[in-house]
Amino acid sequence: MEKEKNLHRLQCSYTCLDESFEIGKETYKGQQYSHIYFARLNLMRTLLHSLVSNWKPFSPVRPVLELEEGKECVIIGTLYKHMKLKPRVLDEYSKERSVVPLVKPHNFTHSDDYLVLEDEKGRVKLGGNFISPSVYATGVVVALHGKESGAGDFLVLDVLEAGLPPQIDRPLKSSEDKYVVLVSGLSIGSSNSNPLQFQLLIDHITGHLGDEMEQGIASQIVHVVIAGNSIEIPAGLINGQNLASKDLSRIAEPIKELDIMLNQIAAGLPLDIMPGPNDPSNFALPQQPLHRCLFPGSSAYNTFRSCSNPHCFELDNVRFLGTSGQNVDDLDKYSEAKDKLEFMERTLRWRHLAPTAPNTLGCYPFTDKDPFFIDSCPNVYFIGNQNKYETRIIKGSEGQLVRLICVPKFNETGVAVVLNLKDLECHALSFGTQLSS
Amino acid sequence: MKRFYRQRKNAVTDKPSKSRKKSKIPPTPLQAEYDPKEEKLRKFDMDMAYGPCVGMTRLERWGRAQNMGLNPPKEIESFLKSDSKDNKIDLECLWNKRIHGSYKTIEYFNFDNSFKKYIPLIS
Repeated sequence: MEKEKNLHRLQCSYTCLDESFEIGKETYKGQQYSHIYFARLNLMRTLLHSLVSNWKPFSPVRPVLELEEGKECVIIGTLYKHMKLKPRVLDEYSKERSVVPLVKPHNFTHSDDYLVLEDEKGRVKLGGNFISPSVYATGVVVALHGKESGAGDFLVLDVLEAGLPPQIDRPLKSSEDKYVVLVSGLSIGSSNSNPLQFQLLIDHITGHLGDEMEQGIASQIVHVVIAGNSIEIPAGLINGQNLASKDLSRIAEPIKELDIMLNQIAAGLPLDIMPGPNDPSNFALPQQPLHRCLFPGSSAYNTFRSCSNPHCFELDNVRFLGTSGQNVDDLDKYSEAKDKLEFMERTLRWRHLAPTAPNTLGCYPFTDKDPFFIDSCPNVYFIGNQNKYETRIIKGSEGQLVRLICVPKFNETGVAVVLNLKDLECHALSFGTQLSS
Repeated sequence: MKRFYRQRKNAVTDKPSKSRKKSKIPPTPLQAEYDPKEEKLRKFDMDMAYGPCVGMTRLERWGRAQNMGLNPPKEIESFLKSDSKDNKIDLECLWNKRIHGSYKTIEYFNFDNSFKKYIPLIS
């Protein structure tokens, strides 16, 4: 008879780096969003200035208002994309409905869109074929090399983006496989949610499934991250009216169920939960952690952590940065790329997690900082609530290496993502509860 | 549909809302005469190099510019810190309370109503 073996779950060190996403005593005193753009431009300008001397050593950097016709120079500023199809709140009030072409089903880009570059004092329309409006979005800070054309436009000859931020070298110390599970879009409480599927995932993570080999793998899972949209409150319940008492209990049911499920994970291993667009947190980014009293069962464990969205943390010196997907989903509406990973790559190269905030993405009106500026390059960058699982490694010019991951909606796909901390290899973990016919 | 957007009429409907028009502009409009310190402070407010000024006090704005390494003039700080009873200095910026709509308060995160989602009113 085989001797029974005791399996021990591996552990890893954890550091939470959410400080810049926390909203403490900030109050709203009438400040407008111009402050964020000011803070962003200042941060990025010092950065781009240092790069320009290597990029175009013989071109002077000028403010927009001091452009001279025909003289080549470099300008630094925030891009604004003028979009024909972008919905404007004023359109609803205009008596004469102008004939606006139909919006494409998935996004608002149009071939007539053009870019404008702004600094504190002025703005200039960008011309030429070098810079493609469909790639950029409002809020990105870049340096442009070119000259003013006769018509008052700035003819762009070259573009400089800030590029991937510097990365802290990661000592490759462990040779052990340690896995991190990323899951998002559980949507507990939605009409098509499948509790069995999630239960299978939990049983796999906690080691209640499979034979000894499978349990051995489960014991190497060191951390679970839930990237937003864990619950879905039944449609029609929230309409701004006071709720009847029986509806009040219905509204809390999905959270109760989630608490029961998370309880099982938290009893076994560390768990981070981030809020998403459907969760009971604030709407504007950065979303604040879900309150602990929503989870009376799980929050009793010190392994349970409610985190902000975006969320930044380190596991065994591997730096993670992730959102519940709003930043990339919004870029998808206002610019174009071949896949979601390309949007993610761009946000890293632009050094900004959510350039479209506050223009089209809800955002807290900060006055003295821009919390979405990426100052240090993560090793793993993930976004939640995507349609399908995608992953890629990108490399920077200074040897930076980033694993990009799109975490799919678990409710729709039954797929969670498993990442190996040792070599940043990544695979999908798929659960099915139906016999395929 | 009615049930969703029920509107409650005000008890007093016949009274035209003339009294409402009494503007919220602060009692003292911009005075024609002010001391040279105020002149310098207003110039500081209007200097775009130190960023927008609406929604923060002059000292906060000075502090932000200092933190960003923009070297704001030192005398502005000394003016603002010298505010006292007999040496009155306006600590708020030039546009304070004069911009329409800038005085709505938004509760950013209120747990009791956490099912409501707050959207900033201005953009």
